[in-house]
Amino acid sequence: MTAAIQIDGVSKRYGRTVALDAISFDVAAQEVFALLGPNGAGKTTLLHILSTILRPDSGTVTIGGVDALAHPTRSRRDIGVVFQEPSLDDRLTVFENLNFHGLVHGVPSALRRRRIGELLDLVELTDWRDKLVRTLSSGMKRRVEIARALTHDSRILFLDEPTVGLDAQSRDRIWRYIARLRSTRDLTVVVTTHYIEEVEACDRVCIIDHGKILALDSPATLKATYGQQLLRVVPHADAAAEIAMDYPDATIRPDGEMVLQSSGDVFAESFLARYGSRIRRLSVEEPSLESVFLSLTGREIRDQAATGRERTLAFGRQGGEHTR
Amino acid sequence: MSESGLAYTFRLHAGGLYAIWFREVKRAVRDRGQLIGGVSRPLLWVLIMGIGLNPYFRGEVYGEVRFVVPYTYLQFIFPAVIALNIMYTSIQSAVSVIWDRQFGFLREVLVSPLPRATILLGKILGGATVALFHGCLVLVLARFADLSLSIGDIARGLLLMALLAFGLTSLGVVIAGRIRSFEGFGVFSNAVILPLYFTSSSVFPLDPSLTSAQTSVIYPEWLMIVVRFNPMTYAVDALRGAFIHFQQFDAWMGPAVLVGMAVVFFAMALRGFSKA
Repeated sequence: MTAAIQIDGVSKRYGRTVALDAISFDVAAQEVFALLGPNGAGKTTLLHILSTILRPDSGTVTIGGVDALAHPTRSRRDIGVVFQEPSLDDRLTVFENLNFHGLVHGVPSALRRRRIGELLDLVELTDWRDKLVRTLSSGMKRRVEIARALTHDSRILFLDEPTVGLDAQSRDRIWRYIARLRSTRDLTVVVTTHYIEEVEACDRVCIIDHGKILALDSPATLKATYGQQLLRVVPHADAAAEIAMDYPDATIRPDGEMVLQSSGDVFAESFLARYGSRIRRLSVEEPSLESVFLSLTGREIRDQAATGRERTLAFGRQGGEHTR
Repeated sequence: MSESGLAYTFRLHAGGLYAIWFREVKRAVRDRGQLIGGVSRPLLWVLIMGIGLNPYFRGEVYGEVRFVVPYTYLQFIFPAVIALNIMYTSIQSAVSVIWDRQFGFLREVLVSPLPRATILLGKILGGATVALFHGCLVLVLARFADLSLSIGDIARGLLLMALLAFGLTSLGVVIAGRIRSFEGFGVFSNAVILPLYFTSSSVFPLDPSLTSAQTSVIYPEWLMIVVRFNPMTYAVDALRGAFIHFQQFDAWMGPAVLVGMAVVFFAMALRGFSKA
């Protein structure tokens, strides 16, 4: 099996901050490869380097057997990119955006028309073909961008947080399109996300944090290796401090829930024996990628997404000083 | 790739250039505000300023007629108004460079296999086309300025206007490379456009009948220097040559300066854009 992408010792620093620290891995052809990490982990920097718009300080990047740093324009023929921020021209129509992309990638006109038709069909936007992009919802814009990235003969698709900010329905749709695309054309997909549930369906997952690879394997293997049983506990107010003392490893979520890493059923039993009467709610969570992430980075990935407002509200629910 | 590399390369560059050029033109056509500015500016200058000041423009100083001017004031400022309209539109069109950067579209173009030079050329040609069109809007007013133009005059004028548009659009891109906010660009471009315009002997004529020694007595020296070093002076002069057959400088100077502006500003724009 030939590798679609080979990255060797790629580093990038912004001033004193090390964004990527000697990252190396291969992505096999036709694989769905996920980069998982909290915000600021270096995912986007890595994706920008792979899509040849950012040069690393050191290291090599090979895309489809071609040195992407020496021949970026050659590599760009093989890749389709969906950036994290929208990059459509919203004063042009859906068709004009796709046609523009086809033209700047040298797609012959007959093929261009046919493929745009097929792709709009796939992302269910045929009826919106001649509407200005600015009249579309953000979910629809994302779908246009995915269609656009495939208007030329791209064999590698880079998706940077393709589902962030979208409602659950739109997120499902986007993953459905990607699955359908993979069945019809030779496509390697590299996707970054911080939604753990989306990663489950990927072939391999690379967990990165602070510019370093923490783990890289299939979701099943990751769970078997690093996964831990978790106890999710909502204690009564008086017990919280005591539990925190007893289990210094416990993380406390903004809504007051405490997450304890359990070593097995014995752990759960001893916990229940002590605090069983003083907790409001308890659930046992079997090993998941969530717990893999927690045990690798020492924090929960979901916390990264919580906004300041959510934190304040959670603090209030706990009986924080704002509500006294 | 099964097809020959040459065919692909040609299709990529020709198609890419066309797509980028066409996008600029399309966006300008859809932007009503820009078009309104392009129409109202020449109307203001030609119909109001030009017609209003026309009677005061005579070859007399303190009531004493010194020479006969072979053209009216309206005719005199007409080529300058063309230059002004091109200048505004050209430099403003570079706003799209800031727009693209701000709204992420630049990345979409940068991940394409097109080289930066082709991308920039397409963009500048697009902006220049719109500016040339705005220059032609002024040309429509020629009859109000009592200008009778032959086909040859118009062809020569259009060529000069196209060169001017290309050079100034490149200048706009250079400015847009330094100033990255919309507001800053608006203020700065006005601060560039108006002085360039007013010191290009566009609205205040350098008296054609005076020798250089006499001129320097009438006008302060610093103003003379500014006028002589302003490339727009030669651009306006070349346009006057085409449209009213009057030139203060040698006929070759205007086109030479225009070509020079186009080459230098494009090179500067490319240098800035390659680093972006």
